[in-house]
Amino acid sequence: MDPLVRLDGASLGYGGRALIDGVSVAVEPGDFLAVVGPNGGGKTTLLRTLLGLLAPVRGRRSAVSPLAVGYVPQRDHVDPLWPLTAGDVVSMGRVPGAGPFRALRGDDREAARRALGRVGLGDLWSRPFRTLSGGQRQRTLIARALAAGPRLLALDEPTNGMDPGAELSAMDLLRELHGGGGIAVVMISHRLEAVANYARRLAFVDKDQGLWEVGTLDEMLRPAELSRLYGRDVVVREEGGRRLVYPRAEARSP
Amino acid sequence: MSALSEFLSASAIWRDPLLASILAGGLLGFLGVYVVLRRVVFVSAALTQLSTLGVIVSLLVLEVLDLETEHQEIQLLVAWVFSVGGGLVLGAAGRGRRLPAESGVGMAYVLAGALAVLGANRLVHVAHDLNTMVFGNAVAVPFQDVVILVVVTAVVALLHTLFQKEIVFSSFDRETAEAMGVRVRLFGGVLFFTIGLAIPVAAHVVGALPVFAFLTVPASAALLATNGLQPAFAVATALGAIAAGAGYVGSWTLQLPTGATMVAVAGALVLPAWAWRRMRG
Repeated sequence: MDPLVRLDGASLGYGGRALIDGVSVAVEPGDFLAVVGPNGGGKTTLLRTLLGLLAPVRGRRSAVSPLAVGYVPQRDHVDPLWPLTAGDVVSMGRVPGAGPFRALRGDDREAARRALGRVGLGDLWSRPFRTLSGGQRQRTLIARALAAGPRLLALDEPTNGMDPGAELSAMDLLRELHGGGGIAVVMISHRLEAVANYARRLAFVDKDQGLWEVGTLDEMLRPAELSRLYGRDVVVREEGGRRLVYPRAEARSP
Repeated sequence: MSALSEFLSASAIWRDPLLASILAGGLLGFLGVYVVLRRVVFVSAALTQLSTLGVIVSLLVLEVLDLETEHQEIQLLVAWVFSVGGGLVLGAAGRGRRLPAESGVGMAYVLAGALAVLGANRLVHVAHDLNTMVFGNAVAVPFQDVVILVVVTAVVALLHTLFQKEIVFSSFDRETAEAMGVRVRLFGGVLFFTIGLAIPVAAHVVGALPVFAFLTVPASAALLATNGLQPAFAVATALGAIAAGAGYVGSWTLQLPTGATMVAVAGALVLPAWAWRRMRG
């Protein structure tokens, strides 16, 4: 299967200055890749390079063309000042496909309505976006990405700032959407425990440590790999069918 | 004869200025919705200053070359270069690593203002009617200015009709629009091109202060009074036109300065909008 997008021996960075070297990764149809690392570790740089918004400083990026991308930003990056309904926001997902010189048509609105229904908010179409709860806003932004009919769904810290219940709910939704239609998902997060039960593959990135590793969940959730990422011992155990990941408590001196 | 009947009997004098003022108010009211929602209110102030600087520069060059300074089309052309150029640069400026975008806007505002004062100080021949040349005179607007304003309004309306969905998406959520393939620089450029296009011609008709006011106040009132983006555009356009028209008539009948009266009327329109918002919760 041809990958949707791949980086080969890429150095990632800005203005000709490489922050992370030796990045090779391919995202295939149906993939679910979670990119984990500390804040400021280079996750967004990697995502922007994968999406073609940033050219690799060295190495090569290739992608199928055209590649329909659905993008979900952190919800606090979206300005609540705008007097838009949830339906208006989701309809924006149809803008790239519609092309210039014409307004959105009835079929675009219909596709947007279906997308909002897929995330369970079909009855909030006319509700002002700014009056939605944090979780509802995030789902609306996911619906906007889905409305584009994407082959690749890219999410930037989609559960950032959510309470545990809302985080689980958002991740369950992503699993459902991913399982349903062969969409590839690339998601970045600084919380490993948020993605450890959902992703198929994991990548660790931290520019300060010069760290770049990618592999299957089983390969990456080994204590040795995790200790490299976090710089301390990490425990991985299963409970009730879910993986729990947490740092081992430091031994206290008597 | 009452002031109003005196006003009505002088329609030949006020017809063109009133029409130009209403057009300018409506045009700037519409664009102001983007200005307010994109939180770039002071970009419009800086562009007005740059437009003024453009007029001063054109007058200086004409004087140095010993050419007629009556050619308003040359002044407008240079003002457009400054205003559109400034709009494209300031509109494209993102968050810097060392300085916020606002510092660039602030520097453009004060430097353009200072250079305009210095330039005006060196003008010799046109010093007596400099104020009219630079800040316009809503009381006496030639028909030619109305035509220019109609053409500019038509260009702005056309561009915003063709590209509204892209301009709205790029303005509301630049990051996502870019990631999903919308050419955000291009459509941000279209928006600031239209703002830069409107400012000099509107400033020439109604003056610098009303331009800044019409880019801010009607949109603010509309955003308070309405709940949707399209209604906000419609109400802001209407409020801009009403404020300009009522301000013009009020200044004539009450013998008040025109630009300041327009701004005061625009400001007065915010109060009912705010009250309406409070009543609706």
